Amino acid sequence: MKLAGNDMLIQSLINEGVEYIFGYPGGAALHIYDSIFQQKEMQHILVRHEQGATHAADGYARATGKPGVVMVTSGPGATNAITGIATAFMDSIPMIVISGQVQSHLIGTDAFQETDMIGISRPIVKHSFTVDHQSNIAQIVKEAFHIATSGRQGPVVIDIPKDITSPDNLFDFEYPKEVNIRSYNPPLDPDPLQIERVVEAILNANQPVIYAGGGTISSNASEELKELNSYINVPVTNTLMGLGVYPATDEKFLGMLGMHGTFQANMAMHNADLILAIGARFDDRITNTPEKFAPNAQIVHFDVDHSSVSKIIEADIAVFGQVKNSLTAINSLIKKRSAEIDSTKIQKWHAQIAEWKNSHGLNHDLYKDTSDDKPILPQAVVQHIYQASKGDAFVTSDVGQHQMFAAQYYHFDEPRKWINSGGLGTMGFGLPSAMGVKLAYPNEEVVCITGEGSIQMCIQELSTCSQYKLPIKIFNINNLSLGMVKQWQDMNYDGRHSSISYEDSLPDFKSLVESYGHVGIKITKNSELKNGIEKAFSIKDKLVFVDIFVDPNEHVYPMLVAPNGSLKDMWLSKGNKT
Amino acid sequence: MIERQLTLIMENKPGALARVVGLFHQRGYNIDSLHVDPVEDFVPYKFIEDELNIKFSKGEVSRLIIKTTVGDALMRQILRQINKLIEVIAISDNESTYLKGILRDENLL
Ligand SMILES: Cc1ncc(C[n+]2csc(CCOP(=O)(O)OP(=O)(O)O)c2C)c(N)n1
Ligand SMILES: [Mg+2]
Repeated sequence: MKLAGNDMLIQSLINEGVEYIFGYPGGAALHIYDSIFQQKEMQHILVRHEQGATHAADGYARATGKPGVVMVTSGPGATNAITGIATAFMDSIPMIVISGQVQSHLIGTDAFQETDMIGISRPIVKHSFTVDHQSNIAQIVKEAFHIATSGRQGPVVIDIPKDITSPDNLFDFEYPKEVNIRSYNPPLDPDPLQIERVVEAILNANQPVIYAGGGTISSNASEELKELNSYINVPVTNTLMGLGVYPATDEKFLGMLGMHGTFQANMAMHNADLILAIGARFDDRITNTPEKFAPNAQIVHFDVDHSSVSKIIEADIAVFGQVKNSLTAINSLIKKRSAEIDSTKIQKWHAQIAEWKNSHGLNHDLYKDTSDDKPILPQAVVQHIYQASKGDAFVTSDVGQHQMFAAQYYHFDEPRKWINSGGLGTMGFGLPSAMGVKLAYPNEEVVCITGEGSIQMCIQELSTCSQYKLPIKIFNINNLSLGMVKQWQDMNYDGRHSSISYEDSLPDFKSLVESYGHVGIKITKNSELKNGIEKAFSIKDKLVFVDIFVDPNEHVYPMLVAPNGSLKDMWLSKGNKT
Repeated sequence: MIERQLTLIMENKPGALARVVGLFHQRGYNIDSLHVDPVEDFVPYKFIEDELNIKFSKGEVSRLIIKTTVGDALMRQILRQINKLIEVIAISDNESTYLKGILRDENLL
């Protein structure tokens, strides 16, 4: 078959099974957009800002496990995509970003809308390609999808000069069936000797903890993790990125760990004698001071990325491979040796954890207080959303206190349902990522829990939601300030509130969303909270934006004491630490 | 901290060198010296061809020699980070070699 470059690119995406392209047109991408116009297999979603395109593709990828696809033009289109690429990179999310580029002969001349996209994106991509000839398009697209979706996943940029996508020149096109990159060979199966060592360590441990992160979700290893714990019955904690990979309503679940982790999760990690780190990377929000991290624990680290192991915390046993394959190997061995598991040892450990939970665990019943003499608590808002959505929604979030409350109080029982920017902490992620999730799962409930600061960073996407009729439910936990920054200023700067207030400049969100054709609900009193949130969920065919005015002085607790603290050093409430 | 020598064999593709150099900067590692040339004689690298079941041809790969002054733990981290670059086929320091994900406890380059 002979095709022009623009059609080759689009045909290659179709061959990869792409359903949606999130993008924004412009000069260098015009040929490509002409090809998009002339096909029916994929739908192009026109966002309102390229950042929105990347987050939407990212949300789609996190919810489905399939790579998200982004199309932008050169120059400002490409640079606008950078924040979203970095967001996907930090959380190892598979994404393909195709950027138009000026014509080959103009590269390097400071041509109109020329930027060195490969150079700008280099530190925040898994890999990138410049297309130098039409005959390489199919091979490059094939390799890009392979790289983005294998090993430790991540975003891949394909930069393509305008002349390469010209409709005028036809070349042979055949989409490759297989791909083999000789210099790229991510590990799959673990070393059996290491698996034996892990099983020994598990059988010998008195106070083991499973610490599972986002890598367990990327590897689709939730079932294997649950199976492992059906044999060994140990306490499980998840990172912010890992929530849902182990059911939150299971009695062995400790909650999230780390900076705003639960008391029992952080205490269990600190006192553990064995930590099974599964697809987690000992981020600084998890370890607190690395030298003081889990002083008595033997560390077993499962990861597909060699460079993550012993980067921050030295591993005693390293298991390289796809987490799914490694857990399958552990399971088949431990099943055979299950008679050797000493359940009395574990009972003592569970009893200790129950004591921690009873003393300083989170209060999940705050929503029951409906009195109007107190301001609405943000925690209670999340609890109501959890009740009203029956714990079954996809929940995207932004960054700040509202995000931490969502992570603490919405109990995720399945992987890929909690969608948030953990690594980069990108305000503005919540709304566009919810669009990607809703397009992937039009019949599922998709909720965005946001703050009045974050929502304004990509609020233009409300217009995209009208155009494509995406009935997302947005809950704006409105504390009239950049709450998380304010909390740090309260705790570390004697309450000097530098630049965290908008004074009187906030829009009336209800009328704002109504002007886009959406439904707005405003809630200011506890007595309105339950009904207001339920009403939002009862409206099925419209986007509903619920603006909820909460106590502006609330802080997120627990909070790790830093600098120089360990995981057992936590603030538990204002002025009160362990 | 001691001065170490790293040797890399990588695909000779546009932008590949920038990825290696960029990685040093991005991760806060220092480069004391850097030397690049195309590999003309594949005889010393025949084991790579055998192990990875590939065949090099002329002009396809380059050799980089980088000197850097770091401690042991950071050296290991640098090796692993560079090994992750898609276009790097093999990298070694004095004690170990990564052949695309396969770690060997000797300097094979
Ligand atoms: C793009 C971006 N800029 C700045 C920050 C720093 N930051 C982290 S949380 C936060 C406040 C967020 O305010 P809001 O969305 O209202 O959430 P709240 O903490 O009040 O719940 C800021 C400014 C960030 N994470 N992302
Ligand atoms: Mg706020």
